[in-house]
This record gives sequence, structure tokens and C-alpha cells, in this order.
Amino acid sequence: MIPLRRAWPVAVLVILAIAPFLTANPFYQRVAALVVLAAISASAWNVIGGYAGQISFGHSIYFGIGAYASLLLFGRFGLPPIAGAPLGIVASFVVSLIIGPPTFRLRGHYFSMGTFAIAALAEILVVNWKFAGGAIGLMGPAMPRSLADLLFRNSLPYYAIFLAVLALLLALTHLMQRSRMGFYLRAIGAGERAAESLGVPVQRYKLYALLISGAFTALAGSLYAVMIGFVDPESGFGILISVNMVVIAALGGVGTLFGPLAGAIILVPLQETTNALLGGSGTGAAYVAYGLIIMLIARFSPGGLAELWPLINRNGRRRAA
Amino acid sequence: MLLEAEGIVKAFGSFRAVDQASLVVAENELIGLIGPNGAGKSTFFNCLAGDTRPTSGTIRFRGQEITRLSPDRHARLGLARTFQVPIVFAGMTVRENVMVGALLRHPHRRRAAAEADELLHFTGLAERAEMPVTALGTSGRKRVEIARALATEPRLLLLDEALAGLTSSEVEAAIELVERIHARGVTLIVVEHIMEVIHRLTERVLVFHQGRVIAEGTPAEVTADPTVIAAYLGRRRRRAR
Repeated sequence: MIPLRRAWPVAVLVILAIAPFLTANPFYQRVAALVVLAAISASAWNVIGGYAGQISFGHSIYFGIGAYASLLLFGRFGLPPIAGAPLGIVASFVVSLIIGPPTFRLRGHYFSMGTFAIAALAEILVVNWKFAGGAIGLMGPAMPRSLADLLFRNSLPYYAIFLAVLALLLALTHLMQRSRMGFYLRAIGAGERAAESLGVPVQRYKLYALLISGAFTALAGSLYAVMIGFVDPESGFGILISVNMVVIAALGGVGTLFGPLAGAIILVPLQETTNALLGGSGTGAAYVAYGLIIMLIARFSPGGLAELWPLINRNGRRRAA
Repeated sequence: MLLEAEGIVKAFGSFRAVDQASLVVAENELIGLIGPNGAGKSTFFNCLAGDTRPTSGTIRFRGQEITRLSPDRHARLGLARTFQVPIVFAGMTVRENVMVGALLRHPHRRRAAAEADELLHFTGLAERAEMPVTALGTSGRKRVEIARALATEPRLLLLDEALAGLTSSEVEAAIELVERIHARGVTLIVVEHIMEVIHRLTERVLVFHQGRVIAEGTPAEVTADPTVIAAYLGRRRRRAR
């Protein structure tokens, strides 16, 4: 039984690696790439929001920074958009160091509200920032100038790149989970005062978590800009970008390694399908479904799908016995 | 001296929850803090643990001033505490809870797990190590808190009503545990309501009343002290009126 249990995460990744190559349908391939992209940002959010229990509603700020860094470097200096990724990560560190220490003094809902307010402010600032295209936003290259532009007609190369980044992030999270930092973050999430009394430097560990979380979210933003080739204040800094990460992680299970990936596999296809079926006027429909999902999670399974996993497992074992 | 608290005042507006309280603790002592509800013992206790910053006064631990240090620095220096209402880390097993404490001195997981197991054995929780901590009742949670605090390898342990809310058989077991902790060479300060416990455990007692230390001595001395009796029971003359 034990080798089987160890093997299943590997099996999941193998299935993910080959799945989209089995279909020739460009819509499915595109959705598959977007699933992995959403899994990256939700898994990044999970480091601070899940493990450390600090429910940020302001992560769109990091996503937007990454996306804008990519398309600004292209638009203003003609660099390939992916060159903006390291710039976005550095900028995310600066933002974390500025917004982390003051917001970490807020607990529970107040932290969520504080981060929400900061992200809303950032969106307004970008709308009024002429250099970054204001309300109109920024475009990526229309035609590939070289391979470095990472401009492909097909979604599969994006899928492969995203999957590599996700694997790196999940591997790091796995290592963190088993280390002192993982224990300390979970302790902070469960009882800050008790953690402090046991010698955990709470503010410092929250900041570490935010630095990691913000950097990967910014990277997700850069990758998004590279693939889509367009960003405006709403698709970069919009509040729904933050909500997306929270809902995806919450559905799959906050503070679990594969929870956000599971959430993305369920929610992103749902969102893309409703968008495709209902067209431009129906973009809001997915969020109606989001509201319903949030209510269902809160009512029946606050730990997300991950909470149901042991139940399924236990039943399976009983049947085997 | 292990701990010296001098002239501690904690004021909330014009109300002084703790008023000029002082305490000197030598290595290996077992000291009790008693007093009626609202007497200021818990506030004083929180000042010692670094959870509350005193308005004035100084606290020294092993010769170093710690008055304004954060709680995590207190733990690092060897001053640990438990809470009146246990705060356990939900979502973790009993062992993982204790490991959080052990990781302070043993950053590697395996080593911390081994330390935690030793303390789970010591506190009688070994059989419940794999259980989710939330499956434990009050008595079990209080033990987890004690094991967790001991895992930080403290020189001084502050127990905030570690015996409150326990059944009489649980109290017996808890008294025995406190004695064994003391025997390990850990200095203890216990806040306690139950007079019998204080009598059996402590060598020296401080009595708080309205924020002040009104008596100090052996348990027998303070319980015979007329001011202590008056603080607990009220004055006879007033009752007669």
C-alpha cells in the first residue's frame, strides 16, 4: 500500500504531462494551459493564504506586476516579454517588503480587507498611469521576431512551460512543508499567539512566506502576458484575479500540496466553457458559479475537496479489507 | 537570580491592573501566584511572559533585561509558558504540535520528532501522538501545551491555571506531572485557583489582590494571614452590617 500512496502524486503529474497531447482540439489545449497557469498562481497564493493562514485578497497586485513587467519591457524597450519575468519577481519582493510588515499586524478578516484595499488602490493607480497604457493596457508582439518571444500558434508549448514552473513550485512547497518553515507557517495559521510563545518569530516567517508567494504569483502574471499578449488594468490587477486564486485554492483545499491544482482542474474548464458558450455578455456567469461554490465549501466542507479525500481513501481501504 | 521583576505596573487608562508588583525567583523554585478573580495575576503573568508590555517596571531574566522583548525572544532565552485556555494547533497531530516547540532548538525534522516523542512519553501522551490534536479534551490539550512548552527546553516555565477545568482524578495526575517537571530541574511559576493544589505543590506563594501583592510566604503562612482571609472572604464587619 505504501509505495502506491507515494506513487500517486507522480501519476498525477505524468497524466498531466501527456493529457493535452491526446487531443487535437485547440480549445481543449488552450484550457489545459490555462488550468496549469491558474494552478501556479493558486499554489503560490497557498503558501501565505493556506499554510500560513493569512487570507490575502490582494494577490492580484503581484499578478499584475508580473504581467505589466513583461509587456512594458516589450512595449518600451522591445525586449522579449519573458524578459519581464525576473523584473516582475524583483518588483514583487519590493512590494512584499513594503506591504507585508504593516498588513501583518492585522489579524483574520482585517488582514483580508487590508490586502483587498491595497490591491484595489493599485488597480486605480495603473488605470491612471499613462506610461503603462492607462486604461487601455499593453500589447505583446503581434508576430514572433525570434523564438525568445515565445509566441506560438498552438497552446501546447505554453502548457509545457507552465507545467515545468508548476512542478518547480510544488517541489519547493513540498520541501517547505517538511521543513521547520512549514511547521512554523502552519502553527502561525492555527494560533499565532501560541506560535510566538514557542519561539516562532511570527512576523519574519509571514514575510518569508509572502516573498515566496508573491514571487511565484508575479511569475504567473508574466507567463500569462507571454501567452495572451495583452494586459489591461482589469485582467492584470482586477480584484477578480485575487478572488480566482482564493476560490481555486479553497475548493481544492487550502494548506495542502495538491489542493490548488485540483481546484484549478475543476474550476478553470467551468469558467472557460461558460465564457465560450455565453460569449462576451456571459463573462460574469462563472462568478455567479463561484459565489455558489464558496457557499457550498463554507457550509459543507471548509477544508475543500482535500477534506473529502481521507473519507474516500478510508472507504477504499475498508472495502479492500 | 533566575528572574527578577521589579515594580511592575500595568495600567489600562486610569485603572491599574497590576500595581507595583515585584517578584524574585531563584533557580529550582516552585512558586505559586494566587488571588481572587480579577486580582491581576494573569496580567502580571503576561508581563513576565512578554505577551503584555508593562507600563513601568523592569524584568530581568538570568541577568538580562527582557521587559520589552517579544514573546518569541522570551522562548529563545529559556522562558516558556502555557495558556489559561489552551491554544492548540488545529490541523496538526499531537506529535506535530509538540514538534513546533522542539524545532526551536532542533531545526531538523527528525531530531525534533525524536525530542517530541520523548516529551509525549513524559507527559503521558505517547499513545495519542498520531491523533489530530483537536480530538483531545481539555485535559489532553493542557498536556499538549505543557509538552510543547517543555520542548523549547525552558529554564523557567510559567503555567497559567494548568489545572483549571479538570476533574479530580485529572487534577491528581496533573499535580504529579508538575512535580516531575520540577524534578527535571525546571523552575516553575504556577497561577492557580485551587488552594489544595498550592498547598501540595509550592514552597512559596504570592497573593494578589486588586493589582497588588498583599502577602508572600509559605502556603501555611499566607493562608493564616488576616489580610489574605479578608481579601478572599471579605471583612466580617462589613458582612455584619
